[in-house]
Amino acid sequence: MIDFLAPLYLAAAAVAAIPLFLHLIRRRIGTRREFPAVRYLARAEREHSRKLRLRNLLLMLLRVLAVLLVALAAARPVARVIGSGHAPTALAVVLDNSLSTSAVVNGQTVLEGLEARARLLVERASPGDQIWLVTADGVVRGGSRGTVLTAIRRTESLAGAGDPEHAVTVAASLVRAASTVAHEVAIFTDAQATSWTDPLSLGRVHVVAYRPRTDPPVNHAVTESAASPGRWTPDGAVRARILTPDSAVYRIALEGRTVARGTAARNEEVVVHATPAARGWMDGSVELEPDELRGDDVRRFAVWVGAAPAVAASPALGIFARSALDALVSAGRAAVGNDIAMVPANDVTTLPALIVAPADPLRVGAANRALERLGIPWRFGEVQNVASTVNGVPGDSSRLAGVTVMRRYALERRAGTDAPSDTLAMAGADPWIVAGPTYVIVASPLIPQATNFPVRAAFVPWLGDVFSQRLEQEVGSVINAAPGVQVGRPANADGLELAGGERLSLSGDSLTAPDQPGVYFFMHGTRRLGALVVNPEARESALARLNNDALAARLRGSDVRVVDDAATLHTHTLSSAPRRPIVAPLLMLALLVLVVESAVVGTGRRRAA
Amino acid sequence: MSTAAPGQRADLLDPATIASLGRIEVIARWVVDGFLTGLHRSRRKGFSVEFAEHRPYQPGDELRYLDWKIAARADRWVVKQYEEETNLRAALVLDVSRSMAWTGAPERLTKLAYAERLTAALALLFLRQRDAVGLVRFDDEIRTALAPRVRTGHWRHIVAALDEPGSGHASRAADALEQAGRLISRRGIVVLISDLLMDPPAVVQHVRALRHAGHQVVVLHLFDPAERELPITADTVFVDPESNIEVPATVQEVRSAYRATVNAAIAEWRQSFAAIGASYETISTDAPFGVPLRRAFASRQRVP
Repeated sequence: MIDFLAPLYLAAAAVAAIPLFLHLIRRRIGTRREFPAVRYLARAEREHSRKLRLRNLLLMLLRVLAVLLVALAAARPVARVIGSGHAPTALAVVLDNSLSTSAVVNGQTVLEGLEARARLLVERASPGDQIWLVTADGVVRGGSRGTVLTAIRRTESLAGAGDPEHAVTVAASLVRAASTVAHEVAIFTDAQATSWTDPLSLGRVHVVAYRPRTDPPVNHAVTESAASPGRWTPDGAVRARILTPDSAVYRIALEGRTVARGTAARNEEVVVHATPAARGWMDGSVELEPDELRGDDVRRFAVWVGAAPAVAASPALGIFARSALDALVSAGRAAVGNDIAMVPANDVTTLPALIVAPADPLRVGAANRALERLGIPWRFGEVQNVASTVNGVPGDSSRLAGVTVMRRYALERRAGTDAPSDTLAMAGADPWIVAGPTYVIVASPLIPQATNFPVRAAFVPWLGDVFSQRLEQEVGSVINAAPGVQVGRPANADGLELAGGERLSLSGDSLTAPDQPGVYFFMHGTRRLGALVVNPEARESALARLNNDALAARLRGSDVRVVDDAATLHTHTLSSAPRRPIVAPLLMLALLVLVVESAVVGTGRRRAA
Repeated sequence: MSTAAPGQRADLLDPATIASLGRIEVIARWVVDGFLTGLHRSRRKGFSVEFAEHRPYQPGDELRYLDWKIAARADRWVVKQYEEETNLRAALVLDVSRSMAWTGAPERLTKLAYAERLTAALALLFLRQRDAVGLVRFDDEIRTALAPRVRTGHWRHIVAALDEPGSGHASRAADALEQAGRLISRRGIVVLISDLLMDPPAVVQHVRALRHAGHQVVVLHLFDPAERELPITADTVFVDPESNIEVPATVQEVRSAYRATVNAAIAEWRQSFAAIGASYETISTDAPFGVPLRRAFASRQRVP
């Protein structure tokens, strides 16, 4: 099949109609001339007409053929031709170096096997080819064959999943933009199912995907690890989930010190409580015994550990609130002090504070004035004496589920304010508990006549969480990210503490997560202001592979082939696409035709002379 | 009256050049004078049994005709010339059809102009040899028929007849040859001057009849050089001036075939006339008049 790089020039083939036209109308043109010996002329034409017609037909065909050949050549045709070598090719090698390719199979990593195949392909490239290497993190390296070979050798597995699909898209764009005759994308991947989820539209680019025939190893991985709650005051828990086909031995550590060891069953969530003595931000990890895929055997987390918040409770709140605070104090989760106020709204004068609706409706006016004075964007509206069930919002629903509200005030957003706030619970369709950076407002008095919440078991833990997670001093938050992804920069963070105590200055609204997993602390001056926890994507630990057909289904295009052996790979790459430009042969043929035409004309002229 | 050029024989000059110097009779005289001057080079021409006159010896003359007596007496070298008997009757048959009034180049004479001057010269040549000469002009009909006469004034009648109109749209040579046969009561010579753009069978048939009657027939086939070579280069629609038949042709493509055809036609004419004992000569209109005169006169010498 012949393709044309400049098909518009095929229109020039219409010029071929000129000799045809001249041939057809030739006898109708010319000047009239008196000539007595017409009988000889007529006799000559009569006796030589067959020969003349053949000669004229031959000349016409030669001229038409010459024009057609030149027009074809101008359209820059390419076609498969017999011969060695391959046409100048734009070759983009996509090397899937995602974390899963670091799995060891038969004594070598999957990536090493893929690299070997990729090198064999690139070594067959010729100087006329354009070559790029695109890795799963989207990095493109182009240049000569030697440059790309070196880049392949230096390619290492990523700590995360990367984005092989994006890499293929980038590779296809690269080769499509090239002006070479052939365009080819060679994908070397472990065909991990979780990496190839969305079908890619690759158009007419020749795509060959190689996947290893070997089965993936059995993998044990930590797929989840987190401190619960995010702030420990000072006790808390580590929650982890282990991916294992049967069981796995785990170790949980804080600041490198072992907190717990154990064996986790399949799909079991591990919860380990801890009360570290240290304070402040610290890193932790959940670790497994090493297996064939090392990158997901450790999963980090970060936690802030601090003293129990000091709370001053107003006597006007009632016995239930005071008793709950006493319980928290006795459990060590709170202390008596003036850091946080727990008061009726009409008495609030400082923040942070847990603000409770006044029991007496007559004090609503004073309460709203106090809220306005503190810049809180909420006010109490009319009292609602209608029983309603609380609907918690995500995160708080477990503690608030089933709470009944008999009396509450409508919480109204103060006009003209746009300060951020959260709604922690809804009573019916209205907000019941709302929160801001330094306040939490409950729209009912904490007495049994207004709501059964104070008498429920969940009240005390909820109250503890409010004090420690909501109203405690701002210590920053944890950002979980995969290696290399963009994350937002926390406000006031001007640096990132790297491993070994090095500091990376931050600016702008975002930053790129480090390539290596770990816990990195945001800094404001010398103070830690939160943590960036970098872990591989949990999905990368699922090493199930797509078969050839399934992978081919993900790579949608007119010329896609998935192979799993070296011979087939060799057949269908580079040498399999010997589509070469045939401009020169066409021009030579056109020249030959013109030479023949000149010879025919010259023969006629010599005879005429 | 001056000659064409001092020291040059008019029968050897370019016909167009010499034709531009005077009228037919003048040109004819020059040509004949020049032609006769060169006749001594021929072994058999001009030397019959009856003495006619002396003329100065010229290198090349045979010594046996040298008049030794005069040489001894007057120390002058002269040769004796003899006249043949005037028993020959000649008929000049001239084609004046429209095809004859054509030339391939402005600087050349038309075939008719050339033929008329040749006819006048031939007539004069015959008369000077004491032969009776007549004239038949024809195209699609017989335009002139002058019976052979031997009188000197007859030549003026012939020259005058050449000025009569012609150029008809056909060449009926058969009728003209038949008329010529009737004009010559006893054995004589018929000279046909034509471009022979006509069908051969009828012409050959009547020439054969003349030959059967004992007449010598000389056919001078006139060609314009362009009719032999077809030098035109552009695509052209060729029109026959007589029949108005049109033949479009790309000259470059047909030139070689055309030349081959013309040569084939000449060969056919030559073969046909040779088969019946008639002389046939092709004359190009750019050839000096001496050429056809010599060829025609050579035939005269073969008259029995």
